[in-house]
Amino acid sequence: MAAAVVAAIAVALFAATYWFEQMPEGITRGFGAEAFPRLVLGTILALAALLTVVSPTGEALPRIPAMVWYSGAALVAFMAVVPVAGMLPSMFLFLLALGYLWGERRHWLLLLNAALLTAIIWAIFVKGFGVQLPKGVLA
Amino acid sequence: MDAFLAGMALLVDPKILLVVFLGTLIGIIVGALPGISGSTTTALLLPFTITMGPVPAIAFLGAIYCAANFGGSITAILVNSPGDPSASATAFDGYPMAQRGEAGRALGMSAVASAIGGIFSVVVLIIAAPLLARVAYSFGPPEYFALAVFGLSMVAMTGGDSMLKNLIAGAFGVLIATVGQDLTTGVERYTFGIHSFTDGIEFIPVLIGLFALTELLEQASQLKNKPWVAKLGAVRLPSWQDIKECSKAISISSVLGTFIGILPALGATTAAMIAYVETKRWSKNKAQFGKGAIEGVAGPEAANNAAVGGAMVPTLALGIPGSTTTAIILAGLIVQGVRPGPHLFTEQPILLYAVFSSMLLANLLYLVLGLGFAKVFARISLIPPQFLWPAVFVLSVIGAYAPNQAMAEVWVAIAFGFIGFFMRRYGFSPAPLVIGLVLGRMVEETLKQSLLIFDLSWGGFLGRPIAMTLFGLTALFLLAPWALQKLRVRP
Repeated sequence: MAAAVVAAIAVALFAATYWFEQMPEGITRGFGAEAFPRLVLGTILALAALLTVVSPTGEALPRIPAMVWYSGAALVAFMAVVPVAGMLPSMFLFLLALGYLWGERRHWLLLLNAALLTAIIWAIFVKGFGVQLPKGVLA
Repeated sequence: MDAFLAGMALLVDPKILLVVFLGTLIGIIVGALPGISGSTTTALLLPFTITMGPVPAIAFLGAIYCAANFGGSITAILVNSPGDPSASATAFDGYPMAQRGEAGRALGMSAVASAIGGIFSVVVLIIAAPLLARVAYSFGPPEYFALAVFGLSMVAMTGGDSMLKNLIAGAFGVLIATVGQDLTTGVERYTFGIHSFTDGIEFIPVLIGLFALTELLEQASQLKNKPWVAKLGAVRLPSWQDIKECSKAISISSVLGTFIGILPALGATTAAMIAYVETKRWSKNKAQFGKGAIEGVAGPEAANNAAVGGAMVPTLALGIPGSTTTAIILAGLIVQGVRPGPHLFTEQPILLYAVFSSMLLANLLYLVLGLGFAKVFARISLIPPQFLWPAVFVLSVIGAYAPNQAMAEVWVAIAFGFIGFFMRRYGFSPAPLVIGLVLGRMVEETLKQSLLIFDLSWGGFLGRPIAMTLFGLTALFLLAPWALQKLRVRP
């Protein structure tokens, strides 16, 4: 399974090299922009083939726990909220949401933790280092 | 000698002292936090070193690297959950010692053995790195290409159990390094119309994604496991009897750890495991191992810290990372505009000696901090995951965003978080990918230069004895485990 996925990715990336802009021989001097990626991808394909021979069938993996998907979704949701609410409010919400999702039910502690960490990030990075964080359309 | 003294003199610079102290403190704290390894921390804090300048930046990262290995032993001993993978072997005997009420004695020995191993390896680094650099000074592109290929072949033994999977991950790392404009022709490769990929994929978001965010997703799958925590009495210096009992283990492991660290891509975890086996082999109390033998703590701890200095030898002298963390430190140097390699010893000797002296200082500092505040660090290790990991994510976001102030970098970090998670699930370690990524440009550039020198003939390598020796070593390292296995199977 793993070898097949590796091979599929390698073939797709190999095919993508045919879309690289072509340059005259005088500029490429016999070694075009596509040559090295093809060399690496050829190596990956050979290794994937070897992997199939060495370990043809893998053991069935346990299911990915639902919490992993929820946490992954939280990361993506954070990215979706930033353009709307801005970076700092999104961080505050994320700290609350993931803490709750991971089982913390003491709301006051969650709020305190989220507020404190967001304030520290603001003090160090915005005020201290002068980092310009995205503000969001609501700001 | 002047450069050495100038490097040492930097230690009285309050700024350097402060960053080494902070690096040591952070290293111990994060080393003690299960799930956050030294490599995760260096990846996470790398962006914040950009404004520091090369000397404080590498002193800071080097101090974290030194201290994290020791920090990992705190949770290995108290919780049986190594904070850093390199402390895995320490748990074999450290935890049984803690269970019978000797946690303080185990931690004391861990601090002393770690410091001895660490200091020994830095002394070797001071002596060996310039010698190795002198050898490499005459290297041309073909030799560097062969050296980089040799370094890449060593990733076969890094990270996961499968050599083939490690090599595939390493090759993907090299491929990721090709993203962006080709240096010779200016042709864009794998940019898919994304503007920020034109200059290549930045190291920092990839590293943050592969280490910090992948670990966050891993932790999400293990939320139900709650560790049993041993009680910690006062941490104390080992007795004279303990030192006498462990002197052989510390000596053997310091030498072994340094040597294993020097080999490209093999790091502290391998060193500690081999040192544990060797300590047991040479011990008079073999039967006690696994039940709480103090030598079983001293050996791996001396070795994993000795591997730190060892790993810095090829990193600084050749520009080939000796471990995952040194690959990140190497990336940090490149971000600072410093390209490690033999020329560094003539061009920026003070920088190098400042690194050496700050690593020496970090080894002394964590001995003091470890003995004095292990109880405090042990408490930090118990921060509940529902507070720790959301905070890690927030720091990851800032770390990925801040250097270029671009949200695209945060997306890259998150994408690599998922990639790292699925890599691990299917038995591919992210560590070889990082080494491949760091070495990728060097491999391509030196190959192109070599082929130009040889008039596009691959046969040109045959006329370069050093390159051919390195290719031979590469083949040997790749084929030896397979050949040995075949020999064992034969009746």
